[in-house]
Amino acid sequence: MKIVIKHKTDFSKADRLIEKYYDGLTTVEEEKQIQHFLSQPDLPERFEVDKEIFGYFDHKKKKLHKSILPYFRWASVAALLAAIVFSLQIYMNTNRSNYACIDGKKIYDVHQIKSQALESLQDVSSKTNEVEDGFKNLNDHQLIEQQLDVFSGL
Amino acid sequence: MKSIKKYLMLALLAGLGILPNLNAQNDLQISRVFEEKKGSVMVELTDEMLDGYDFSLFKSITINNNLPAADFIRKCLAKDEAGAKKVKQVVSNGVPTSIYLQLPRKGSLYRLILFNETYKPVQKITLIYIESKNDSEDVLKLILKKK
Repeated sequence: MKIVIKHKTDFSKADRLIEKYYDGLTTVEEEKQIQHFLSQPDLPERFEVDKEIFGYFDHKKKKLHKSILPYFRWASVAALLAAIVFSLQIYMNTNRSNYACIDGKKIYDVHQIKSQALESLQDVSSKTNEVEDGFKNLNDHQLIEQQLDVFSGL
Repeated sequence: MKSIKKYLMLALLAGLGILPNLNAQNDLQISRVFEEKKGSVMVELTDEMLDGYDFSLFKSITINNNLPAADFIRKCLAKDEAGAKKVKQVVSNGVPTSIYLQLPRKGSLYRLILFNETYKPVQKITLIYIESKNDSEDVLKLILKKK
């Protein structure tokens, strides 16, 4: 049912409903009626306060709606990116496997792979030791003193 | 509202920052060397115990009788050397024949590169890339100990 300004009695009906609203006794339907009534133009001045009160609530609702929307937009973008990152991580992990490739032929036997790996480590370890030895020599005070002795006679 | 956007933006950037870490080796020039080629032996081990070594990733490639490949690897290593924490080299006749690069950590992983070239009995190149949760110094000590 809609309240349309036709007679003075409509105003009194609206007054009753507004009073009922302030007492907290209105139904949802009645609150809609009040909102509809107050949204009409050229209402008597005495309804200004009620208009402001209802207008305030309406504004609050709109503001809340406005503030949530971009948040969801950003959240959905973040969720999408997170999903891409996790999918990539899973893809990378599944692609990482144990294998050896000898002359283009792939081998998946763990013992063979490990023996190939150890062989390559042995290749490197011998020379890396030379590096370590070189550094040890640099720290060898005795060697440095011997080398400096050459110049002591000058 | 602005702070929510700011935090979400930070989360996105953090997420994007994770992407390159998915494969820590990708930022290195030597990743171009690890390809399955004829005349080479390539090994890839992930999260495996190897004779006492605890590697998150072990990659090696051995190539015989291929001088251009050795030059290419040396060029790649020279670029990777720029970002290395520690560099050790053995230079023979003005050419680095043995290189050890200790790279900065990527996340929780220590990374190191080992390169060696020998000429006897044949020209042989060995390139190893290691990712480990153990300190790269300890990994190197272990490699030397096993010799």
